[in-house]
This record gives sequence, structure tokens and C-alpha cells, in this order.
Amino acid sequence: MSGEEEARNQQTPIAEVREAVKRFAATEGGVITALDGVSLKVQPREFVTLLGPSGCGKTTLLRVISGLEELDAGEVLIAGEPMTTVPPHRRPVNTVFQNYALFPHLSVGDNVGYGLDVAGVPRRQRNTRVGEVLERIGLGGFEPRRPDQLSGGQRQRVALARAIINRPSLLLLDEPLSALDRNLRQSMQLELKTLQHDLGISFLFVTHDQEEALTMSDRVAVLNKGRIEQVGTPEAHYHRPATRFVAEFIGDGALFSGRIEGPTEDPVLVTGDGLRLAVALGTTVNQVATLLLRPEHLEAAPEAPDAAFGVIEVRLKQSVFLGASRKFVCCLANGATVTAAPTGAGAQALSRVAPGELVRLAYRRDQPHLILGADDGT
Amino acid sequence: MRRTWVKRVLAVHGALFLLFIYAPIVMVVVYSFNSNPINMMIWSGFTFDWYWTIFGYPTQLNEQTLYVDSTDRLLAAVQNSLIVATSTTTISTVLGTMTALALYRYRFRAQRFYQGLLYMPMVMPDIVLGIALLVFFVSFGMALGLISIIIGHCTFLISYVFVVVSARLAGMDDTLEQASADLGANEWVTFRRITLPQILPGVIGGALLAFIISMDDLVITYFISGVDSTTLPVFIYGMLRRGVKPEINAIATIMLMLSFTIATLGLYFRRRH
Repeated sequence: MSGEEEARNQQTPIAEVREAVKRFAATEGGVITALDGVSLKVQPREFVTLLGPSGCGKTTLLRVISGLEELDAGEVLIAGEPMTTVPPHRRPVNTVFQNYALFPHLSVGDNVGYGLDVAGVPRRQRNTRVGEVLERIGLGGFEPRRPDQLSGGQRQRVALARAIINRPSLLLLDEPLSALDRNLRQSMQLELKTLQHDLGISFLFVTHDQEEALTMSDRVAVLNKGRIEQVGTPEAHYHRPATRFVAEFIGDGALFSGRIEGPTEDPVLVTGDGLRLAVALGTTVNQVATLLLRPEHLEAAPEAPDAAFGVIEVRLKQSVFLGASRKFVCCLANGATVTAAPTGAGAQALSRVAPGELVRLAYRRDQPHLILGADDGT
Repeated sequence: MRRTWVKRVLAVHGALFLLFIYAPIVMVVVYSFNSNPINMMIWSGFTFDWYWTIFGYPTQLNEQTLYVDSTDRLLAAVQNSLIVATSTTTISTVLGTMTALALYRYRFRAQRFYQGLLYMPMVMPDIVLGIALLVFFVSFGMALGLISIIIGHCTFLISYVFVVVSARLAGMDDTLEQASADLGANEWVTFRRITLPQILPGVIGGALLAFIISMDDLVITYFISGVDSTTLPVFIYGMLRRGVKPEINAIATIMLMLSFTIATLGLYFRRRH
């Protein structure tokens, strides 16, 4: 845990969820557990992302915090105050909805000013603030327009303006960028990050897009089947995934599950089909583990690799041009696919290999992350 | 390419279809301006006299042929009809909208069953409903009059409003209410500023439908109206039993115009949103 993170944990979290459980009755009968004992803290001025596949419970967690969904068990606290019995309209958080939920019968100005209107802010002050917020998000002078006269990106901005005008301490964003095209999405990612920094408030952002999560977040919580798999910095998720699910969900790479076998000075992971992969020195033998080989770990093997390297023999399937670099899709003896994205000399060496030829790849044995413990099969 | 004779046949079919629907109505309107007092099917000149007659003004035709028994009774029937229609429209619009909102918002046991119960009065034969209501009022010793008609009409008009408002609610984005709550509005403010404006076309449509049906209902009203509470359709029916007289055409034309206006209003409100 870094020093900054520790300092943050001393403060009262902006929002805290404790052991949250939420079940829904499924339409075809039975019960869906959307949240299965989830605990999470959001610190002041922190950008936290809930990442997971659809149906993992991330939107439910957001709605539990905003009060639109009631918990079956557990607790929600906002700024240290228990919120379980507080209705949504009295919670000091605001939401940007996935479909934006702009009021179609109100103008842009009235949409943005809605929060101030229901709070009874005087007209003149309200108009000034609406103008300011619209200016801030780049839609100055759009007050008289109707939501149906706006483009998707503009609607998204109006929804954002409407949600921040009440100056919430925590802004909840439910996949707000999913309806935008790729270019717009990327520029909005940076803009959101800047906005969060300028406003000095916390964002809790829901997405199923790992790239989005890694780009924007201070911390990411990966959810799967109603449980949090891992919470941490984007770097931690990428380099040290806690579970096989996180390793598969974030970034590229090949996963090998098996058993660590000795000797201690040369530990090797042996997979079910007999593949042998060298792992970091000092790894305890006789335990099950999963090795994550990322493309950037793999190089063309040197002539005489020393003990610091693990070597695998593969057959080159395809060499893919990516612009700045090249990646090499290869096939292992057991049929598994690994991808190598070497740099510099390694890349040149591999470029000379024709598809279908055998080639030896090497990785520094202390580089790939090893997930210890049983393969949970997900 | 389709052959021309097929197109012609289809065009004739279309024309016949429209004629079949509208010819009787056009005939009534035309007859209401025919000055022939004996046989309305023979055109003998244009006149407004039938309209004057129903409103009790003396006319040339009126002196010989006093068909409307009493203009006072006609006007009383119109007044009764308006009282009944406005009351039932108000009551059934409020109750029907509330019911639709409740069934839209909450999930509870036997919801489908309740929904079914609400559709029932619309498919129930009028005559059955009329008899049932009559038996009900008599069993409880209630005097038949405007009150019994209003209660009777509400029993099935609530269903109509419910259906129209429900359709509108089904098309409403339910995150709008959530967004309103999220922005700090309580339930009442959310209803007034978000939900009601969203469903207003449905509410107005339901109200206009209820008004037209209530104004127009004969069968049920016939069973449950008392001596002094004759409504316009019951009155006209009474008139007809003594023969079809030309004033009927004038009354029918006026009612047609009224319905037309209401329907146009309904369409206008639906377009606007």
C-alpha cells in the first residue's frame, strides 16, 4: 500500500458499503444474487471504477448507494452517515444515468436547473449557475434547446451538467460513455478525469470496458457474480491480478494453471497436459498456481539462455502489424495460444521467422505474475 | 409490375369500403338540412329550421309539425348528460390514472389478476352490466337518478382511462422518475414535474374517451336512470319510439360535431407531445 493510499484511509470515506447483499426475483422464477457481500470504500477526491461483465452487480452497487435500490443486508454510509433508511432524494449524491434520463418535456436549461429548482434556489442565482455549468462542459447558450435536438455527445454532457450542479460530494456514473462512438469516448474519458480533478469530488464510475477503467481510475474494483474480486490501482490489477478472473478480464495474456514442482532452485509449473513453465526462483513447490504470461514478457530466446529465463518452444501462427509495434501469435505444443510483443532486437529476430516455423521464446522467470491457489475455473 | 386492373379493383374496393362506413353519417347530415317535413328522403330545399326547432324557436315547419315534444325536456336531457359526463370523466380520470400508476409502479401478488379484473368491465356486455347495476342499486335501496348513473358509468369508464394511461406509462422511461429523485425531488414534486407531464397526453386522451362514451351511453344508462334523470341518448331513444322525425338528424349532426371536436382535441394533444 502506497503512502498516499494510507493517508487516504485515515479520512472518513465519502461512501462506504459494508457487506452489501441484494437479491432479485428472477423473471423465470428463482433468485438472482446481484450483490453477495460487497464491501467498498470511496475516499474523498478519488476516482473509483467498478469494472465487470454485464450482470456482475456493478450497476446494482451504484443504485444501492444512490438509494434507488434497497439492500437486503449490509449497510451504506455516505460521509460517515448511515443511509439505509434515507430515501434517494435526501442523499448527497447524484447520478449520471446510462441512458442519460434527460426529461424530454424540459429544455436543456430546465433539465440542468432541475436540482436547483426543487431545492428552491432563487431564480436569478439558479440561472447564473445553470449558465456556468453549461459553459464549463462546453454547451454555453444551450439553455433553450430541447433534449431531442441534441446529439448523443451533447446529451451526455447535459446529463453530466445536471448531475454536478448540486455539487454532490460523490458523483455516480453508470456507463455514461457506452453509447458514444470510440473517438468521442476517448476524449470524454480525459475530460471526465479533468472535471473530477477540477471539482475536487469523488467519482464512482461503472463500466465493462477495461481500457476505460485503467485510463481514468485511481482505483478499480473488479466485480464478478456479485462479489468483488480485487480492489486496487490499475497497475496492481494489470501486474498482480489476484484471481484468474481478473487476469482474464484485464489486459492480454495467456494463463496456465497447474502445479508447482521442484527442485526449489528451479521451480517449474507443470500443467495438466504436461507443459513445463519455469517460474520465479523461491516459489514454494507443491502447490497449485496459475501463471500469467503477458505479451510484453516474451522475447525471442537468446542462443544460450541462463537460469534467469524460462524458455518455451512455439510454432509461429501469425505476425500482426500494429503500427508502432508488431505482435506474434504463437501456438504451444499443447495447442494453447500465446502472444509475444517483444521490443527492439527481439522483434526483429522474430520478424524473420516465417509462419509455421518453430521458434523459441523466453521470459524473465521473475516477471510473469503467479496467482497462487486453486484454479477457480472462471 | 402489378397489372392495372388489379389496381382498379383495389381502388374500387377502397372506395366502397369508405362509402359503407361514411354514407349513413353523410346522409344524416344532409337530411338535417332538408326542408321536406314529410319524407326526409326526398330533397325539397335547404333549411336550418330543424336546428331552430330543437332549440325551441318557432319556424314555418314547426307550426305544422311539432315533433320535439318539449324543448325544455330536450335541454334538461342535455344538461343531465353534461352533468353525468363531466362528473364521471373527472372521477374516472383521477381513479383510472391512480390505478394505472399503482399497477405500473408496484409489483405485488396476483398483479395479473388485478389487471384482468380491470379489463373485464370493457368486455362485459352492456346489457349485463346494466341489469347488474340496476339489481345492485335496487337491493341497496338506492334511488335511481343522476348519482346512480354517475356511479354506473364510473364502474366501466375507470377501465378505459386505466387502459389508455397504462399504455402511455408503458412507453415512459422509468429512469426519468429515478433521475428526479436522484436530483432531490420528493415523490410529490416528481409526480407533478416529471410523471404527470409525461403521461398527460394519455390522461387527456383517457378523459376525452370517457367523456364521449359517457355522453353517448344508452344501454346501461337506460337501466339505471330514474324518471327525472333522462340523459340525451335515452331522450332520443324515447323520441324514436314515436317515429323517426327530421329533428333527430339535426340533433345527431350536433352530437357528431361535438364528438369530432373532442376527437380532434385528443389528436392535437397527442401530437403536441
